[in-house]
Amino acid sequence: MRLRAALLAALLFATPAAAQQRPLVWGDTLPATLDPHAVFDVPSQFILLNIYDGLYRYQGNPPQLIPWLAERHSVSEDGLTWEITLRDGVNFHDGSPMTAEDVVYSFRRLLAMNRAPAAAFTPVLKAENVSAPDARTVRFVLSTPYAPFLAAMPLVAIVNPRVLTANEKDSDRGAEWLAANSAGSGAYRMDSATYRPRTALDLVRFPEHFRGWADNPKPIDQVRSRPVMETSTRVLALLRGEIDATDSYLPTDQVERVERNARTRVAKDESMRVFILRMNNRKPPFDNKDARLCFAHAFNYPGFNEIILKGLVIRNPGPNPNNLWGNPEGMAPYSFDLAKAREHCDKARAAGAPLGREIEIHVQSELEQTVQAAQMFQADLRRVGVSLKIVPSTWPNITGSTGRPETTPDMWVHWVSAYFIDPENWIGQMYDSRFHGTWKASSWYQNQQVDALLAKARTSLDQSERARLYAEATKLVVADSPDIWVYNTVNLRGLTRRVQGYSFSPVGSGGELRTLSLAD
Amino acid sequence: MARYILRRILLALPALFGLVLLTFVLTRVIPADPAATLAGDAATPAQLAEIRARYGLDRPLWEQAVTHMRQVLSGDLGSSIFSGRPVMEEIVFRLPATLELTFVALLLATGLGVPLGLLAALNHNGPIDHLARLISVGGLAIASFWLAIMLQLIFAMDLDVLPLRGRIDVALGAPPTVTGFFLVDSLLAGRLDLLVDTLRHLALPAVTLCLPGLASIARFTRSGVLETLQKDFVLYAQAAGYGRVRLAAIYVLRNAVTVTVAQIGLLFGALISGAVAVEAIFDWPGLGTYAVQAILSADYKALLAVTLVVGVVYAVVNVLVDVAQALIDPRVAEQVK
Amino acid sequence: MTALRHLLRDPVAALGLALVLFAIVVALFAPWLAPYPEDAFESRLLQRLKPPSAEFPFGTDNLGRDILSRVILGTRSAVVVAVSVVLAAMLIGVPVGLWAGWREGWVSETLMRVTDVFLAVPQLILALALGQLMAPGLTTAMVALALTYWPFFARTVHAETRRLRGALFVDALAGIGASTPRILLLHVLPNAAPAILVRATIGMGFTILTAAILGFLGVGAAPPSPDWGLAVAEARQHLPEAWWFPTFPGLAILLLVLGFNLLGDGLRDVADPRLRRGR
Repeated sequence: MRLRAALLAALLFATPAAAQQRPLVWGDTLPATLDPHAVFDVPSQFILLNIYDGLYRYQGNPPQLIPWLAERHSVSEDGLTWEITLRDGVNFHDGSPMTAEDVVYSFRRLLAMNRAPAAAFTPVLKAENVSAPDARTVRFVLSTPYAPFLAAMPLVAIVNPRVLTANEKDSDRGAEWLAANSAGSGAYRMDSATYRPRTALDLVRFPEHFRGWADNPKPIDQVRSRPVMETSTRVLALLRGEIDATDSYLPTDQVERVERNARTRVAKDESMRVFILRMNNRKPPFDNKDARLCFAHAFNYPGFNEIILKGLVIRNPGPNPNNLWGNPEGMAPYSFDLAKAREHCDKARAAGAPLGREIEIHVQSELEQTVQAAQMFQADLRRVGVSLKIVPSTWPNITGSTGRPETTPDMWVHWVSAYFIDPENWIGQMYDSRFHGTWKASSWYQNQQVDALLAKARTSLDQSERARLYAEATKLVVADSPDIWVYNTVNLRGLTRRVQGYSFSPVGSGGELRTLSLAD
Repeated sequence: MARYILRRILLALPALFGLVLLTFVLTRVIPADPAATLAGDAATPAQLAEIRARYGLDRPLWEQAVTHMRQVLSGDLGSSIFSGRPVMEEIVFRLPATLELTFVALLLATGLGVPLGLLAALNHNGPIDHLARLISVGGLAIASFWLAIMLQLIFAMDLDVLPLRGRIDVALGAPPTVTGFFLVDSLLAGRLDLLVDTLRHLALPAVTLCLPGLASIARFTRSGVLETLQKDFVLYAQAAGYGRVRLAAIYVLRNAVTVTVAQIGLLFGALISGAVAVEAIFDWPGLGTYAVQAILSADYKALLAVTLVVGVVYAVVNVLVDVAQALIDPRVAEQVK
Repeated sequence: MTALRHLLRDPVAALGLALVLFAIVVALFAPWLAPYPEDAFESRLLQRLKPPSAEFPFGTDNLGRDILSRVILGTRSAVVVAVSVVLAAMLIGVPVGLWAGWREGWVSETLMRVTDVFLAVPQLILALALGQLMAPGLTTAMVALALTYWPFFARTVHAETRRLRGALFVDALAGIGASTPRILLLHVLPNAAPAILVRATIGMGFTILTAAILGFLGVGAAPPSPDWGLAVAEARQHLPEAWWFPTFPGLAILLLVLGFNLLGDGLRDVADPRLRRGR
């Protein structure tokens, strides 16, 4: 009996032998695949920033485009030929030096695979037009001038072709192998043996990283990425110190609690991630501008931003985030005004817009905020005599249906994150009709004037002209009210207090481990 | 006996074949277009078409089905179109986690369910019987995800005596993989600390998961004991002065195994179902979480494979159960003939 | 009537019956019983996440809605889901079981093999897959549950029919020229009824629970429905602060499922008198 009691006590209270310092445990989501050329989403940036290097990198907030593997660049006058000179003395994890040929290989691999991160380049760049005139120069010849070219550079990881060709299978460019392994030069290298997809990734510091470690005297040697699926579990795990960092979208209702805890804090950083309620402008009633204005005035912005999200977001009046260049000055956001909404709805009804039909709004049911916004909107729309039906769905289901206007939902809710820092990432890809059929352009907005402005801004190499063009386009788009822009995100990442040196940038959401250290 | 076993295995085959077909038909009518997710941001319609062609998503449905069948029969479950890795590989990583959890839960269910059922039967229609029934029926009525959250709050947060999530402490790390079962692997590695830590991590999810099983086992033990107590030979024995408790004890010793074995096959499905929610909440890296992720990302290859593997495991368990029953009680095999 | 008397003599089963009847009454009169019936769809942001008080005995949720009202209103959807899923499953499963149990031949054999296929996958996984495939929502979840539950009825009825087919009175009926449908509907089915009833009652509890899990995983009821499983799912982000948010809907699930299960258990005892003889 006593033995059993002792055993039970041992089971309940035995603390793990943790003599040395606990490694950093990162609780953010891992991407579905580790291949940096196969996906591009917020989780994949963690891999991109830590295991790999790109020619350029965004750092700081507001984000600065910093030459990373590149030393400098030059561009021909017609804006077509770009030459990038590589920095000397960069080594991959296997010790082999990085050459311009490796960069060419990486870009060709990216374009051949033609997956998410390639989308920014395929319209303007063919694989054969990437070349290496010498060991330190990479030349890109574009088919049309493309101003955001450099801004999109950080999307591309430079991979080690020697490792990949050794692991090639059916000439797949090592795709299957790289999904669970790495071939990079980044500040951390992964332990392939302990990798479990979406569950566990162990990282070890790469002391020979080209940037050196002078700026961080106490870098972290061991990092364990252990994603936590459930939000409630994730927060509890942080509070208990089982993980050192949550994802950067902590529910606003949990912020106070995490801040109150003696061992945790919340890093709050204004990001570039716009929360949007989409309207399908091709489907009645949304082909009617008054109907769209009615909806824009019926959303309770202060209620959602200030009360539900506790003021931890920033009202955003248009498609581009506030803190990006290219916004018109003094742009007034749509206000929550049910009287105005009613007025517009009456006008729309008089013009024959079918506001009496049940309008469907698709939400991403695993993202609670999209559901809350829809529920609140539903209650307010009811007051202006519009009935909204909430349809729970998922990202693949919705984006799978945005290929044609007939299959695109009446409305849906999502964010547009910072993939690259250029208005092209927001207004450019959202409201230029050439992108119709993609989820970003799923409001099916069409305005020839806007198309022309955006096309010009895309090809111009004059920054001040671009800013002017985007500002003009933004004014037109906002006046047409094709969508409901709600807020710009403040990223909220729960951290244990022992994590030092956290530095946030809208691309990567503060997932860069190189600058971090652990207090004792 | 050998013929019975063979027959039982052969009977399972058409069901599995149907399962392959069923899962395929199901998953290929998904409205979600995996190509759209794959191509990502700002993909052009031409890009989408190319991806569809590359993964054969543009072929007629029947043709995809035939290809699928051929692949499955040759043991190739394909690669996840999201992770790009063979689906089988991830299942091999994750199956032991789920099986370990289910097995411990089953053990708990039996260890607690049999005595509870016995107690109830001995107090038939008495207050303890009613209480035991309330408990056992209540076990079937609790929503596992709700209980899981409540247990987390109480034992991991308020009392701080048990870990919150995962299979093992992150700082300790997993034992070297031999079988994938941490309980076995930590013993093989001779690491008692890992064994204890694994058990601590198993405690909350296993308790949550065992409740429905506990309830069924208690219920079947109760009715089994009651039935035996009404048998003529027991009545004679009773008349001859044997105590009810002693009779019941003899009965239980002999029949608890049979009852439990018979139940395992049925329970296994419930356990796997329960595991989906329980694994999500306790962050258990098993098949349940994999299935949920596959569904959320419309990864139909993964979903197909999970359904199929669970179906196969389920079928194997049921065949084993039937065979075990036949071995314990040869009359079962006779009946089938 | 005797059956009812037996049932009522069994306190546990009587408790189950009481719980179920109570839920049905609440479901029928929900809009009149709920203190704030419009909280089914309203949002009152200024009073969100208030702990239980005299005004809101169960507290308020993330959109400031009265949880008591929503638990009461949710009873209706829970009962409707349970009853319609089980009825639909019976409509498929009972005829399949009758046919396959009565006739020999490849059709029967195929039917039972199809049943096996469905039984070879745990219901939740199948329902999850189905639910996701056909645009998630409560109707989809219900269809998915019915499609995964009918094999249980088919199995039960199949076994009963097989047993009765050899019975003397059935032979006699066939001998005096009764038609097959007549024998099946008027003689076999009533004899199988107790088994079906027990299955159905247990099935109700099972359905409510599985629907709740589906709602929890986002494949069930759509907001703003006052669905209980959905409420627990919505509450996750607000734990452990707003402990009342998942607790009361969770308890409601527990009580109603408990009611159905206890009733089913009691009915099983009534249907199988051997277990009642005792002592």
